Amino acid sequence: MKKNLLGVAVSLALTSICSMAYADLVVVVNAKNTASVTKDQITQSFLGSTNTFSPIDQPDGSPIRNEFYKTVAEKDPSQVRAIWSKLVFTGKAKPPKQFANSEEVKKEVAGNMNAIGYIEKSAVDSSVRVVYPAN
Amino acid sequence: MKNSIKNSGPKNTHCVTYPARAEVRTMRKITSMLLATLFLMALFLAHTVAHAIDLDDSGSFTASGFYSLTGASVLGGQAQNSSAPWMYQQWNCPCSIQNWEYVGVYEKSKGFEINQESLVGVQLRKEFTNTFSVTGQFVMRAQNPNNSSSPSVDWLYAAWSPSADSPITVEAGRLRIPLYYYSDYLYIGYSYPWVRPPPDVYGWPIYAYDGANISYHTQIGSSAWTMNASAWAGSYKQTYDAYDTLIYYTTPTTESWDKMLGSYVSFTNGIVDLRAMVMKYRDNTEVQTQPVTTIVSNQFTRIEGLSANVDYENWVVRGEIDRYQQQAQALDIDNVYKYNLLGVGYKIGDFTPMVTHSYYTTITEPIESQSTNSLVVRWDFRPNTALKVQYDDNKDESHYAYKFFGDSRLLSVSLQGTF
Repeated sequence: MKKNLLGVAVSLALTSICSMAYADLVVVVNAKNTASVTKDQITQSFLGSTNTFSPIDQPDGSPIRNEFYKTVAEKDPSQVRAIWSKLVFTGKAKPPKQFANSEEVKKEVAGNMNAIGYIEKSAVDSSVRVVYPAN
Repeated sequence: MKNSIKNSGPKNTHCVTYPARAEVRTMRKITSMLLATLFLMALFLAHTVAHAIDLDDSGSFTASGFYSLTGASVLGGQAQNSSAPWMYQQWNCPCSIQNWEYVGVYEKSKGFEINQESLVGVQLRKEFTNTFSVTGQFVMRAQNPNNSSSPSVDWLYAAWSPSADSPITVEAGRLRIPLYYYSDYLYIGYSYPWVRPPPDVYGWPIYAYDGANISYHTQIGSSAWTMNASAWAGSYKQTYDAYDTLIYYTTPTTESWDKMLGSYVSFTNGIVDLRAMVMKYRDNTEVQTQPVTTIVSNQFTRIEGLSANVDYENWVVRGEIDRYQQQAQALDIDNVYKYNLLGVGYKIGDFTPMVTHSYYTTITEPIESQSTNSLVVRWDFRPNTALKVQYDDNKDESHYAYKFFGDSRLLSVSLQGTF
């Protein structure tokens, strides 16, 4: 019984650590874009399966980018690169535009009705609308 | 296709002039040097940039590329229950065919060879507007009998969409045929788990088309699934087709695939990826003997492919079933090829080990058939670069009266990446 309680406590602790890790990261679209967006649709946009949205990336290798692909798309950086190498060299899709940081990504999303990006939660303002995680 | 001339053993017809040997050697040397230079450049670029290189200030003209530096060694092999060395066409066997398009064959007697499959590709893309672009992809290969030393033009096409966020794209020019799952990115090693997609499945004479395609992709409602559908039409003529010439007829052979008409549809939800393809065309194959020997003329041919892939958590599953069918009872043509592959891998950190079984067979005697069990480990040791080590155990199950490629055991090492 004690062991079970300990297990529950550990898993609760782990869950809160995990949700804390991406509580810092939000996916945003243009403030005027009212479309509802699911986690799967975000993934499909960033992995080139659909161009309903035009995805805006953070720099390759940046912690926020790795975190985004890990938690939302559930892929590690090499899997993401492998998927894009296929798409780029067969002309099936154009890789996401890349911007230097959350402020730059926000600016781009604020200026483009179809854009979708991920930024630090602290960077959110009225120019963008948070679509993930859902409130 | 591989047995279009039935019951014909390996032939050694010397009635046609080949380029002088010395000339070929010089060309090969130049190719190797160019390839080595390009390869070093690629490594250097991969080191400095992770993304496409901008060739102008606006970012509308970009260069990107890929490379595979592949070396392999035949550890052993036998044919018709004897491991005594034998010849198949120009090759000293035990040997192992790993690329059919450019005829990459490793010979045990040559030890570790890096000049059969190594390549560097560069892609240039110019975006004229946000709905119109032109893309060219040029590949320098260590082994290119079709085209001697010059880089091959794998892709050169214009792409247009009605609008920037349109689900429709139209492309026209030189394109790769999206026949089986890996056909149109057979040489982008970084994008798949193996050193090369199983050659048992990826062998035929023509891989490109000059023509046009239209594709459409969409999210299915608000589900997790997206659909991608594409249709293409075109033709392609390959004079001195390496596959026909070197592997089968030993005399320069021209093959053309005319009136190609194909389509595929694929569905994915990010975990499961399903694809179905069908293509038909008219085949013309002529061996340039004096007079010309016509193997097939305007012959209706159909190719079909089904694939199912799964990427679930750490699991990687790759499955494919394909069929090539060229039949005409009146002409005594009965060329049917059945192909399949199944691979299962499990990702552990930066390592992805995978086991794969692949197989092909024809259906009429003398049957041509091979199967392979392989083990590959892919190591993503740095961004945009993977090192792969692969062991293949290949069984020749053909019923030819003579010794074909035979059984072989092959060890391959490949450094593959993009820049």
